[in-house]
Amino acid sequence: MKKLFAVTLGILTAFGGFVDIGDLVANALVGARFGMSLAWVVIVGVIGICLFAEMSGRIAAASQRPVFDLVRERLGPRAGLVNLGASFFINVLTLAAEIGGASLALELATGVNYLLWVPGVALVAWLVMWRVKFETMERIFGLAGLALVVFAVGLWLLGPDWGRLAHQVTHPPSDEGVPTYWYYAIALLGGAMTPYEVFFFSSGGVEERWTRKDLVTSRANVFVGFPLGGFLSLAIAGCAATVFLPVHAQVDTLGQMVLPVGLGLGQVGLALVIFGIFAATFGATLETALSSGYTLSQYFGWQWGKYVRPRQASRFHAVVLVVTIVAAALVLTTVDPIKVTEYSLVFSAAALPLTYLPVLMISNDPDYMGDQVNGRFSNALGTVYMVLLVVVAVAAIPLMLATKAGQ
Amino acid sequence: MSQKARTLHAQLHLLDRQVVHAGDGRLVCKVDDVELAAGEDGRPYATAILSGPLALGPRIGGVAGRLIVATTELFRPEERPAPQRIPMALVSEIGSAVQVSGDPPEAALERWVREHLIAPIPGSDGGGEAQDGGDEEPPAPRPSAEPEDGNRTRLAPLLGRRVLDADGAPVGQVADVQLTQDGPLLEGVQNAFQVSGLIVVPRHTGQLFGYERGPGGQAPALVKTIIRRLHRGSRYVAWPQLASPLPDTGPIRLSARLAELSSLAELYERDTAG
Amino acid sequence: MRPPAPPGPVPRPGRRRLARALPQAALLAVLATGCVSPAWDDHDYGLKAGATAQAAASSVELVRLAVRDHDRLTTPYLKTVLTEASGDLGSVNDQFGGVQPPSDAADRLRTQVTDLTSQAEEEVQGLLIEVRRDGLRDPRGADRRLGELAGRLREIEEAHR
Repeated sequence: MKKLFAVTLGILTAFGGFVDIGDLVANALVGARFGMSLAWVVIVGVIGICLFAEMSGRIAAASQRPVFDLVRERLGPRAGLVNLGASFFINVLTLAAEIGGASLALELATGVNYLLWVPGVALVAWLVMWRVKFETMERIFGLAGLALVVFAVGLWLLGPDWGRLAHQVTHPPSDEGVPTYWYYAIALLGGAMTPYEVFFFSSGGVEERWTRKDLVTSRANVFVGFPLGGFLSLAIAGCAATVFLPVHAQVDTLGQMVLPVGLGLGQVGLALVIFGIFAATFGATLETALSSGYTLSQYFGWQWGKYVRPRQASRFHAVVLVVTIVAAALVLTTVDPIKVTEYSLVFSAAALPLTYLPVLMISNDPDYMGDQVNGRFSNALGTVYMVLLVVVAVAAIPLMLATKAGQ
Repeated sequence: MSQKARTLHAQLHLLDRQVVHAGDGRLVCKVDDVELAAGEDGRPYATAILSGPLALGPRIGGVAGRLIVATTELFRPEERPAPQRIPMALVSEIGSAVQVSGDPPEAALERWVREHLIAPIPGSDGGGEAQDGGDEEPPAPRPSAEPEDGNRTRLAPLLGRRVLDADGAPVGQVADVQLTQDGPLLEGVQNAFQVSGLIVVPRHTGQLFGYERGPGGQAPALVKTIIRRLHRGSRYVAWPQLASPLPDTGPIRLSARLAELSSLAELYERDTAG
Repeated sequence: MRPPAPPGPVPRPGRRRLARALPQAALLAVLATGCVSPAWDDHDYGLKAGATAQAAASSVELVRLAVRDHDRLTTPYLKTVLTEASGDLGSVNDQFGGVQPPSDAADRLRTQVTDLTSQAEEEVQGLLIEVRRDGLRDPRGADRRLGELAGRLREIEEAHR
């Protein structure tokens, strides 16, 4: 009974924690411009993140080694350093986007300009990372993120023409160019498979001291929680497709993205969705800031983690503190957080193979995994995804230039 | 001692692994490099794990590597700063992490950051799970010079070195160094890991990512095929096939001809059979 | 004894140069997407007018959606949406106003477009003032006027694509 409760709690946490500013922005943008015609990318992305998160969870449980530890071990110090640079840069960009998202949610709730909220959000986030236990922290914000279910409820109450939504799945709108379509496909994939998710997931497994016994929990989180999160992503796209696509309105602010929920559910829905966005982006703020500390510490072999006292992992906590300040400063330059999110999605997509290739390699290594090495199915699917991710990585930046970032 | 001495590949099993304290699970450092000393017959054996920027910098190489080394030397008080050493005698296990016992010194940067940034912030002492012996501070970083006795070299510079056969024809470059635990006794505790062979690859194909160990375990077929293809023609050079003890610089010369060297495939077939 | 500088594996210059060039390319890309380019001829100017009309129509439609169902939304939210829309319309206006029209025909197009976008901006600003004061006075009328503006903007967009 207790075990069942723990598994359910884990699933709900993974569900509520799945959507972050990247998923939100990408799905709302795509829904408004392309309807449901890119829904398949979300499904491809969710399968991919399930596949690789399961592998990294298994590695963490079998060998107590988190992902970035292994990145350097497999790629060597030089390629590992390039990888670290790219991952760290994307992490900081994503962190800035999440801080901006949480501040924008507060602006929507209060009407006070988001820039005034930025220092407060950053400070509270840092305090949580400094003082609150890992598990408590993950649970609270994961569960609070469940409020985003109102996107699904809102979609239901808007009473869309389901047949038309289904028709859109196979029929992209004719007035959008082919490169733009693929550009947004890549952004969606980058949103669903953001690298920090596996850094955080595997480091979290080590923080919570997973052993082989916890593999059930890990798999339940991944195989039930993540697809439910993916379903929420689709609901966000569905809302945008129902409200904005018919009037050809393009969304480019967080405020506009939650409008469908307000129209469907009224003030209560609006309050819930704003709360949900705040919880999701604030939770992701913690995840990305910690991930920056994790990647750097794991590359250099420093003591990291929240399972020790801050003074025992000084370098790790210093990195987290500095990164939070830098990201908050980046938002305070009044750069549009939504634009930052869009760029971070594309850069994430370009860096995907850097993270996922070492994961695939290590999960086949009996030295680390013992009898927990990949099965045939994981390997076959993993290989297909590696080919796909390499193609995506090569195409991402040229497509961004060619489409002027999707204009 | 077991009947068959343990064999490791330095690049694959040792370099870049996390070093963990065997007692309290504290993360100590990475194996940034390995220190070698020459044995009686000129065969080098591993004496210590080297860590810190002074060991990592040269391995990264290029501008970034030189910058790392120069910055670190600027802040070190010693006249000739050397990387931190953890004697191999303290190593108790080499697995997914390298376990060490004893009291490895703390990194200088960690201590500096704690004293000047983290400790002054209120609450730096709480929040984590209570750990056994967590209250004790690890010993202060100590000035570490290389030991006085004999010449010490490093392992990483061997990687990537050109290899020429008895006729002076190029064989390729060193991709990995095979170590066997049959060297001299270290502080009366355990046998040292001694260089027993080299893995030489024909082109600049980088490392072998562990796939040289052959068909043990399932690898994604495509990745395996690509890596195999890149490494076809890879050779195993046993220690007796070297013309002289390893030179400090310049190419490594063999006393055997290219045709006499065994291919990697033969090596792992022998391993799995034995 | 300090060991001599280890030679290390021979670096592959091509790949490393690429690794260093990538961030620069990325930066350039970011910069390039944020600029306004001049119009070369009438066709180009027309395309810019079409894009401007499209962006303005999109903002107007969003405001219309919010205004039509304003009683279901909270006031701070409504304020934020209207502020964003009026800001967007303002910057669309400014950007298009900064492009030099290459001919007399382009001049006429310019007047046509800026008239509409200014009207839209004024309309939205008016609504914003009402919301800040004590709620929308005539949401139905606003809906109708916004619908009309959006329709005329769409016509321009259709004519120049």
